[in-house]
Amino acid sequence: MHLRYVFSELGQGLRRNLTMHIAVVLTLFVSLTLVGLGVLLNQQADRAAAYWGSQLEVTVFLCRDGDDNPACTGEVTDAERDAVAATLEDNPEVSGLRYESSEEAFDKVKQLYGAERFEGPNPAATADALPQSLWVELADPQEFEGVRSAVVGLEGVSSIRDQRAVLEPIFTSINALQWGAIGIASFLVLAALMLVGNTIRLAALARRREIGIMRLVGASGLSILLPFVLEALVTALIGVGLAAGALAAFMWFGIAEQLSDSLRFMPWIGLSEYGVAVACIAVLGPLLTVVPTLVLTRKYTRV
Amino acid sequence: MIRFEKVTKTYPGQGHPALDDVTVDVEKGEFIFLVGTSGSGKSTFLRLVLREARPTSGRVYVAGKEINRLAGWKVPGLRRRIGTVFQDFRLLPNKTVSENVAFALQVIGGSRSQIAELVPETLELVGLDGKGDRFPDELSGGEQQRVAIARAFVNRPQILIADEPTGNLDPGTSVGIMKLLDRINRTGTTVVMATHDAGIVDQMRKRVVELEGGVVVRDQAQGAYGFQS
Repeated sequence: MHLRYVFSELGQGLRRNLTMHIAVVLTLFVSLTLVGLGVLLNQQADRAAAYWGSQLEVTVFLCRDGDDNPACTGEVTDAERDAVAATLEDNPEVSGLRYESSEEAFDKVKQLYGAERFEGPNPAATADALPQSLWVELADPQEFEGVRSAVVGLEGVSSIRDQRAVLEPIFTSINALQWGAIGIASFLVLAALMLVGNTIRLAALARRREIGIMRLVGASGLSILLPFVLEALVTALIGVGLAAGALAAFMWFGIAEQLSDSLRFMPWIGLSEYGVAVACIAVLGPLLTVVPTLVLTRKYTRV
Repeated sequence: MIRFEKVTKTYPGQGHPALDDVTVDVEKGEFIFLVGTSGSGKSTFLRLVLREARPTSGRVYVAGKEINRLAGWKVPGLRRRIGTVFQDFRLLPNKTVSENVAFALQVIGGSRSQIAELVPETLELVGLDGKGDRFPDELSGGEQQRVAIARAFVNRPQILIADEPTGNLDPGTSVGIMKLLDRINRTGTTVVMATHDAGIVDQMRKRVVELEGGVVVRDQAQGAYGFQS
């Protein structure tokens, strides 16, 4: 088989059905981009879960002076605090307990928002405004209701915060985006498969004379197949390239420049996750075009 | 070179066999005519030689090999030893005469130097030297058939199969094609030609195998188209 012949056939084939090939490339481009996005979002969700999963704690805020909770009669007493701590320590679902004073809480707030806002004659808040708290580590992060019911209503307890409740909406929206992307992608993948099928039918029709002669003079099945497979590969590679570019743009403009700047509390996906997504579409793209090509051209190459 | 042993071929869904217990032996270098009406089994005979079909029963040997048991991937190798010419020429209209002939070598992996040597040589043999750059639609029917013969013969097959090669040509042109096939036969190539053309068969005085309803009704050395008592 002559390479020059193969490539001239390839060029001819691509030119002959140019609009069909463009349709395949565009469909592949969009569907692979969505698949890639799904993979990225999936990794983002995993990353966030791994980061927070270990840190998820239940915080029990104790009463302070002028507490919003009417059940609080004033600053929590040492006895009340010890009683709450003892209850928590006895609870089998609790694996660790840490006390945070108002001053420690104030330091954390200062760190988070910048110390200068809390200094000078007119501070935004003082240590008194912040409640003392008990930070509870759970044996099983899923089981927090038992802890809540154990301490809710105890003297000196103002409120209980579970961090999961804060993060829940973020996980929900990441999941929704991920499944949305993959759902739309699967429709487009279906469309891409059918387009590939039709393109091959057209190509085989246009080349039926050549194929007939090739079979007659004893060309091997592989050499009859090769132009088709190469056509399929070229369209797939262009589609993968475009999708990889679109994902890179998403990573750069969407994540690197926007989200990771404005939402710093969250660990964001980076280059290695992008690599995984591109690897996925680089495998999927050629599969989507080459497999239907092999299946459909079998009847033309069978001797 | 070609040997049919009690070959029967029944196409699926058809009660009557296309070939019925046919035994024919074609020697190396022989020239035989396969005659008979449409539907007599001529085409089936040729398809079996090319292994485009397999016999329902019996054995087909080509060049000493039993080809009905040939593995699929070896079929191209078999076809490289057989050149084939059709009534409708089957040339590629977007390729020149030379390219059409070279195509047969290219797709079986012929080297560039081989192509550069064999293509002009073969065009000269079929009487088309100087017309290599023409396109098929610029040629007469007889010339187009010569291109098809050149393509079939360019890799020097042991067998040349011609299915009604003169069917689309006027009698004068047909004689030229027959002379060419005769010349190719004289190089030692076995030629099997299916035809309706009584005039040609009578003229050539070669072996004639006549099929009727899938059965060999006559196998006559130096025969004529019809029965001559």
